[in-house]
Amino acid sequence: MQVALDGPWSPLLGRLSLAAIPYSNPILVSTFAVVVVLGIVIVGAALRYGKVGYIWREWLTSVDHKKIGVMYIILGLVMLFRGFIDGAMMRTQQLLADGPNSPGYLGAQHGYLPPYHFDQIYTAHGTLMLFFAATPLVAGLGNLIVPLQIGARDMAFPYLNATSLWLTVSGAALCMISLFVGEFSNATWVGLMPFSEMPTNPGVGVDYWMWAFQLSSLGTTFNAINMIATIVKMRAPGMSWFRMPVYCWSSLTTNIIGLSIFPVVTVALTMLGIDRYCGTHFFTAGYGGNFMLYVNLFWIWGHPEVYFLMLPAFGLFSEIVPTFSNKALFGYPTMVAASFSIGGIGWVVWAHHFFTMGMGPALNGYFSAATMLVGIPTGVKAFNWLFTMYRGRITYATPMLWALIGLVLLLIGGLTGMMLSASVFDYTVHNSLFVVAHFHCMVLVIGAALFAGVTYWWPKVFGFKLDEKNGQMYFWTFVIASLLVFVPLFYLGFAGVTRRLDYIYNPALKPLLWVSEGGIGMYFVSLFYFGKMLYVSLRDQIPAAADSWGTGRTLEWLTHTPVPFYNFAVTPQINARDELAWRKAKGLEGVQPTQYVPIHLPNNTAVPVILGALATIFGFAMTWRIWWLSLASLLAIIVVVIIRSFDKNEGYILSAEDIARMENRIALASIVAEQPKRPALVQVEAH
Amino acid sequence: MNPPKQRRASLPSKLFLILPALLLPGCTTADLRLFHPVGLVARAEMHYTLILVITMLIIIVPTLLMTIIFPLRYHHSRNAKYTPDWHFSLSIELLAWGVPLAIVAFLCYLTIKGVYAVNPWAPGILANAPGASQPPINVQVIATDWQWVFIYPDQGVATIDDLVVPAGRIIHLQMTSTSNMNGFYIPQVVPMVDAMPAMESKDAFELNHPATYTGFSTDFSGAGFSWMQFSTRVVPQAAFDGWVQSLQSSPSQLTYAAFQKIAQPTVNVGAKPAYFSAPDKNLFNEVITAAMQGVVYPVPDSFTKRVSDNSAQGAQAPASPQ
Repeated sequence: MQVALDGPWSPLLGRLSLAAIPYSNPILVSTFAVVVVLGIVIVGAALRYGKVGYIWREWLTSVDHKKIGVMYIILGLVMLFRGFIDGAMMRTQQLLADGPNSPGYLGAQHGYLPPYHFDQIYTAHGTLMLFFAATPLVAGLGNLIVPLQIGARDMAFPYLNATSLWLTVSGAALCMISLFVGEFSNATWVGLMPFSEMPTNPGVGVDYWMWAFQLSSLGTTFNAINMIATIVKMRAPGMSWFRMPVYCWSSLTTNIIGLSIFPVVTVALTMLGIDRYCGTHFFTAGYGGNFMLYVNLFWIWGHPEVYFLMLPAFGLFSEIVPTFSNKALFGYPTMVAASFSIGGIGWVVWAHHFFTMGMGPALNGYFSAATMLVGIPTGVKAFNWLFTMYRGRITYATPMLWALIGLVLLLIGGLTGMMLSASVFDYTVHNSLFVVAHFHCMVLVIGAALFAGVTYWWPKVFGFKLDEKNGQMYFWTFVIASLLVFVPLFYLGFAGVTRRLDYIYNPALKPLLWVSEGGIGMYFVSLFYFGKMLYVSLRDQIPAAADSWGTGRTLEWLTHTPVPFYNFAVTPQINARDELAWRKAKGLEGVQPTQYVPIHLPNNTAVPVILGALATIFGFAMTWRIWWLSLASLLAIIVVVIIRSFDKNEGYILSAEDIARMENRIALASIVAEQPKRPALVQVEAH
Repeated sequence: MNPPKQRRASLPSKLFLILPALLLPGCTTADLRLFHPVGLVARAEMHYTLILVITMLIIIVPTLLMTIIFPLRYHHSRNAKYTPDWHFSLSIELLAWGVPLAIVAFLCYLTIKGVYAVNPWAPGILANAPGASQPPINVQVIATDWQWVFIYPDQGVATIDDLVVPAGRIIHLQMTSTSNMNGFYIPQVVPMVDAMPAMESKDAFELNHPATYTGFSTDFSGAGFSWMQFSTRVVPQAAFDGWVQSLQSSPSQLTYAAFQKIAQPTVNVGAKPAYFSAPDKNLFNEVITAAMQGVVYPVPDSFTKRVSDNSAQGAQAPASPQ
């Protein structure tokens, strides 16, 4: 029942042939050159300094939640960069291809990107930004911080945790491969139906998108299971539910959402896969297929997914605002209630993504009203942050600046979101750049929270702060750039400009497009300051204290900076909601344990990274329909999992003497660190 | 950790200078078409939007002010009142939940009222329109890849990419699509509604003054999507009748076979119109039935790639019968 393919197929290489390499496209060829040079530099440096073994032993095979978190964040930042370049290319194309007399370059009739290339770019932009930038950054921070905030040694399932990471990486790898072998989907990040079906989309692009999405969402599902188990079962003694930091609450809500929605999209994508590989008609227009089923399934996942990313952002604000206001979080119980309200309402509003598909006024009215309800708990959160600042002692450190701008963006995004939720307004701007500007406001809230979070917890992980001066320059240039790019898009929406246009027919809109392009230029300036911030911080490495910002309130600031691999020398006993603030008030923050007990820790394992590599091969083989390779890699995955399940390795015990020795060394290092001009003499020894 | 004081003051002020500067290009152009709605339906949409936005601003503006004032007022350098342990107030929480609840309740009422007023299937607002006494003009819209076919079943004419309607009459649109989903939209005039294969959707409007508007597709449908504009011409009743008469003698007739050729993937650069007489009476239903029976007009990958170097005439795929 195999479907007819558009083009040749061979048993050995499937649909793959030399013609799949886009060597005639100068943009892709130069990108490839840059990637190759970067790859050679990185691998070369690793070889030159003899770090290959170190990277393999200490990072790639690690099951330590902190290292996995850092690797998630690195993946997220790299993909954020690629997604940004895609975005910059889109804005430039729209600027150049404005009006019937606009010139064409590089074989395009208008602008420099033909529709074939442009459509792939915006699909990649959406896919990368959501699944491979925002999601890994959120998952990475969750991995880093949640176990520390609840006083746990690691996640509940360290091996599963590493598997989640490497599955996400395999999805990102497929997206990167699609850049240089074949093509990416042109059917938008949501997978338009029936457009994504074989007759109208016969290339391999949709298959790449589908497998990348599928693999990464599998990773996210595993991660959600892991986070829920960790938060429910591994809280330190004394940490009752209502002593848990709000970030952990939002992490719990978000992962309950994640666990309930990702299987939906897994099923929807599987059905699409069966359509595309076996020629069935789940989502076609004809033969009894129903593409509206896909639209519903997709948005039943897609809308809660927005809150899946947004709630951790809210959680981050709820940690950062109290710290830099030097004051307890206002309205803790209602914050928790608001998180659950947002999560709960998030499940029942999905159809507001297709008000224009003819639901009729009763359904549109219901979904409008339900969507507006989200505004209530969101408003509550905003008020609670504001009243946390009220009568506080505020310092404008970089994380606080990000949190404040996040709040402003949330108000703009909230206003425009409430407008869009009214279907009477949505009828005029649905699928327009107004919508694009609105959801970019919202993802910028997430972005601001993530930058805030990374800056805030950076010293906890690495032992030194990010440079404040360049961090603030990065902040201001980024904020100005964001306003320049996205405020004009609101106006373009009012001008009736649709999203996903590779050519804009009205040349009068040029000034707005220029302002937006200016913002893209500003983003490049902010990128420079981001790089400079990293460079200066890594060069100076000024040691930070255990409570790096001086006003920390939660448990993670109690242990050493940087956090040793066993997190806490002894499992802390929790006495209050803001444990560190409580201990400070009682003068107990410097109290050292008198004796240590042995710690049980998991061993590193290469299985997750092997599984990730095999999953990449499987996705690639399925994309190109190389059946023998698909079958071989699938079998290999099954065999590896079976072998692993017979592994009797139950980790190792860190003896009390070892802990005492390491704690001693850390104490010594921190004494040295109090003399700021001298580098730390003693490194914490790795296990 | 604390930046020097002058940066704190100067950078936010720079930021707020940029905002009005951004508004300038917007205010000086009439191209922000949604601010100039025409016809009862579009004006109702704008009317409800304005009330909604003003209501929301009741809560957004004070919150925004607090977001600006609190960080400035309670900066540590100010030595303002400091209550580190104050973390709950029932009255503030009741306000924080209650005020948004009241506002959202009003917004819900308003938006539900609004959606019935502009419901594209049967806009409540058109019930009392001046043209309501006369029978409506029916137009059947078929979105192909990537053109619009307009059929006037009662007049017996059809066009491509040219929607001509008489002023002062209610226009009823029935819509479908051949293979892909497309959004039908004329800003300032009609609510956006998707045209979907194997399904029929509807839209309606009435305009009282002759004018020309540009409509287009709003839902991505492939390589030719950006060129899916069509002109919407509102003409006096007499001119409309004359136009219909002149078309009725057109030699090219829109049979189902002729339609199948039109429905092949075509990028119509510049939205050049075409006109037909005697469209197949049943054409609209035949297209829906065909889509239900699995007829698709495939877009080969080679075609999508070719749209890059098309000439000014637009790329036309070789007719490949399904």
